[in-house]
Amino acid sequence: MGLIFGILMGMIVGVGLMAAWKHMTSYRSNKRISKAIEVKLMGSLNRDDLKKMCGDNYPEWISFPVYEQVKWLNKQLGKLWPFVAEAAEAIIKESVEPLLEDYRPPGITSLKFSKLSLGTVSPKIEGIRVQKLKKDQITMDIDLRWGGDPNIVLGVEAAMVASVPIQLKDLQVFTVVRVIFQLAEEIPCISAVVVALLSEPKPKIDYTLKAVGGSLTALPGISDMIDDTVNSIVTDMVEWPHRIVVPIGGVPVDTSDLELKPQGKLLVTVVRANSLKNSEMVGKSDPYVVVYIRPLFKLKTKTIDNNLNPVWDQTFELIAEEKETQSLILEVFDKDVGQDKRMGVTKLPLNELVAETPKEIELRLLPKLDMLKVKDKKDRGTITVKVLYHEFNKEEQLAALEAEKKIIEERKRLKTEGVIGSTMDALDGVSSLVGSGVGMVGTGLGAGVGLVGTGLGAGAGIVGSGLGAVGSGLSKAGKFMGRTFTGQSSHSRKKSGSSAPVNFVQENGGAKPL
Amino acid sequence: MGFVSTIMGFCGFGFGVSFGLTIGYYLFIYFQPCDVKDPVIRPLVERDTKSLQQLLSEIPLWVKCPDYDRVDWLNKFIEYMWPYLDKAICRTAKDIAAPIIAEQIPKYKIDSVEFETLTLGSLPPTFQGMKVYVTDEKELIMEPSVKWAGNPNVTVAVKAFGLKATVQVVDLQVFAAPRITLKPLVPSFPCFATIFVSLMEKPHVDFGLKLLGADLMSIPGLYRFVQETIKDQVANMYLWPKTLEVQILDPSKAMKKPVGILHVKILRAMKLRKKDIMGASDPYVKVKLTESKLPSKKTKVKHKNLNPEWDEEFNMVVKDPESQALELSVYDWEQIGKHDRMGMNVIPLKDLTPDESKTLTLDLLKNMDSNDAQNDKDRGQIMVELTYKPFKEDDLPKEFEESDAHKVPEGTPAGGGLLMITVHEAQDVEGKHHTNPYVRLIFKGEERKTKQVKKNRDPRWEEDFTFVLEEAPVNDRLHMEVVSTSTRIGLLHPKEVLGYVDINLSDVVSNRRINEKYHLIDSKNGRLQVELQWQPAS
Repeated sequence: MGLIFGILMGMIVGVGLMAAWKHMTSYRSNKRISKAIEVKLMGSLNRDDLKKMCGDNYPEWISFPVYEQVKWLNKQLGKLWPFVAEAAEAIIKESVEPLLEDYRPPGITSLKFSKLSLGTVSPKIEGIRVQKLKKDQITMDIDLRWGGDPNIVLGVEAAMVASVPIQLKDLQVFTVVRVIFQLAEEIPCISAVVVALLSEPKPKIDYTLKAVGGSLTALPGISDMIDDTVNSIVTDMVEWPHRIVVPIGGVPVDTSDLELKPQGKLLVTVVRANSLKNSEMVGKSDPYVVVYIRPLFKLKTKTIDNNLNPVWDQTFELIAEEKETQSLILEVFDKDVGQDKRMGVTKLPLNELVAETPKEIELRLLPKLDMLKVKDKKDRGTITVKVLYHEFNKEEQLAALEAEKKIIEERKRLKTEGVIGSTMDALDGVSSLVGSGVGMVGTGLGAGVGLVGTGLGAGAGIVGSGLGAVGSGLSKAGKFMGRTFTGQSSHSRKKSGSSAPVNFVQENGGAKPL
Repeated sequence: MGFVSTIMGFCGFGFGVSFGLTIGYYLFIYFQPCDVKDPVIRPLVERDTKSLQQLLSEIPLWVKCPDYDRVDWLNKFIEYMWPYLDKAICRTAKDIAAPIIAEQIPKYKIDSVEFETLTLGSLPPTFQGMKVYVTDEKELIMEPSVKWAGNPNVTVAVKAFGLKATVQVVDLQVFAAPRITLKPLVPSFPCFATIFVSLMEKPHVDFGLKLLGADLMSIPGLYRFVQETIKDQVANMYLWPKTLEVQILDPSKAMKKPVGILHVKILRAMKLRKKDIMGASDPYVKVKLTESKLPSKKTKVKHKNLNPEWDEEFNMVVKDPESQALELSVYDWEQIGKHDRMGMNVIPLKDLTPDESKTLTLDLLKNMDSNDAQNDKDRGQIMVELTYKPFKEDDLPKEFEESDAHKVPEGTPAGGGLLMITVHEAQDVEGKHHTNPYVRLIFKGEERKTKQVKKNRDPRWEEDFTFVLEEAPVNDRLHMEVVSTSTRIGLLHPKEVLGYVDINLSDVVSNRRINEKYHLIDSKNGRLQVELQWQPAS
């Protein structure tokens, strides 16, 4: 009796204990889970939540801007700046100098930093926004403002003129930097970082140029040249859709998806221009058109002398990397002794085009693309173009990519051989090279290129050295004379290039004209 | 009878309890699912006032305290990255644990130990606010408030003697207030050498530990005990002022300290090409190390000589023999106008053998671009003798033991010592007519000056001055003034005092080191940051 009672009691107690334990477990587990939820909620509060929680005692120092403010980061940055500046100076010097070399305009033979210090004022981060726009990617937009006091002196060497130190002062940079982190499932979880400046709002980079120990008027046009150089570096290297891709971590990753790739090609026929504004004192202008999407790959038409309603009817093929943001730029120049004068410019956003549909458009010419500061409302005439946008399929894309690489390599080679002074100078030289070299394969291409290259080089060399002889004789005769010769030598080089038989239209497909 | 029955009753009770526990175990625990579900999170707006009241205790610091900053962007970033981090961390943990387990199990006669599940859950850690402190020292201090209330699920299965036991950790929660200090700051990326982490208060730790499915932590009393033990253990290691140190950069490398001396002897040049139209050139040589901020050194000018002999010696401080190079340029001296470069060449220091003299004869080039056709021209040659002497290991100045680096000179009487003054920077100094500030120090009638910084209201000097004293400067004062002089030869306002400060040195003697921003007298908002150190002789 006692035994059975004992067993019974024992069982009840045992089961009861277990039940209590179980109850305790779930109680504690629920408590932890609810706490986890609370913490999670508190980690992403918004204005309405806070309003509801705090009621009338809503703290006034709290705001919820789109770009979240980061006062603490600015404090730290200010403190860290002297050290960052020193470390960055070396890196900038190393990485930007080759860029300056690549983008340096014709007429300047060397462009280098002779002094670079970033000053004592640190950049301010106005705000940070984090978004997830694509799978496996985190997009971080950093609103950066820098009104610094850097001391940057550029050593500019123009042909025939001694090195001129030019100081960049009062630099102001207002831009939104977009950083995209490509995620991976290996530590450190980020396989690559993509950096670009957002094109909307447009990056604002202001500075004033000052010649050290002299005035800029000694070299007219040089400040425009530097402006152009800076502008094309910024727009063609770092402004969205162009970007810099930095692979991170020891894991080799395929970053090709992140790189900018040819997406399609644009067939442009520059038909004619109508009622251009004459820019010459005597007679009429001699207009030609420069066509490009990226400033690194420019193409131009033949010059039509003495005509304000010229008909070119030339067709070019251009590669587009991102249809959504890129534009076709058309610049009309007046061929002139000395520097060619720009008669007008216009742009056509590629986004307006429908793929595989030919279209004829008449565009109004403007004095400048950035119309914010330009008052000039004079009519500069119009230009008529026919455009056809073709979207690449996979194979075409690869072929285009290959061709592009080859062309850049060729340019580099030509540059080291001293045939062309600058990559930007290659306007005609390389396009002719492509025209002649397209049919050949491998070494054949190289040889053909070599021939054209040396022929061109010799031509330019003769003209150049002839001028050089005159120039050196007169080198001490004054800067003005020196400049005139500068202009002419680059001018004549262009001429020798365009006199080569050039066939711009590429039937072969794939090869990218320049 | 009654006695036997009671005994039997007790026996039965004992038997019954174990029986009941087993039944209860199977009933309530064994057949319960032990996987961790993702919690359902309802948005705050949907909640009623009562549950909101409960939430108030968890309200983040940035809402309560204006000195904490909101870091939702960081939270978002971590949230997006969390799934990847989760997988990466778990995989790494498994990879690390596997060999250790394989090594250990034979000792304990266990068949296998393996992770059945290993995940950190779907809830990422969150930052509930970030606070930074600004001090005058070369350091950055951040205090984030980190809360991780996650839903990780770590199940370890142990197999031994044909039986399988599982240990499961669930619902780990860690709340901590760490202080992260980055110091010292150095001028190469990532701009700091070491990270120090310490906890400002004991961290809160909570978790569920299930052994065979039963949560041990819900045994009354046990949880508290375990929690306290963990807190104390962690606190013993990392509670402020104890720190965890993670070195990022080797500070001596990062600071770019000198590692050796290069002796350069410029012997002579031969067959220089003449530059001047009238007569021979007047050559001199400029010597410079690349990547060095020191000004280049020059030889004497040898007038009207195309085969000059200089025989001059220079010593140059080398910071990185791998990347630095010696740059020699021969210039033509001119009475008026620009000095023309007659030619140059560069010698990389890595070509030199340490402690061995080497005499080199180099062709002079127009520039270092090997493709330039103008380099084919003969510009003459230059002869130099070079010796690179690296410092011996013990010659290297010790890092961060500044008191050791500045030894008190021999012969200083007891009670005397060394007073070191570092003028760091000034802020908001402003002159009426010009602001080209430098600092003038006057101590016991002795005057020292820093370099001048041109046109800057917030100049940085970072200059050191030392005074050897015979007795501690207990009753002395140091006078410092910020002075601006006009860069032009203006007669109207040649010199202006932007502010001054007198510092009592008795504090320095008693504190050994003071680093402070002093408000300048006779200045609107001007401040001057000065570091003072006293190193007694004995």
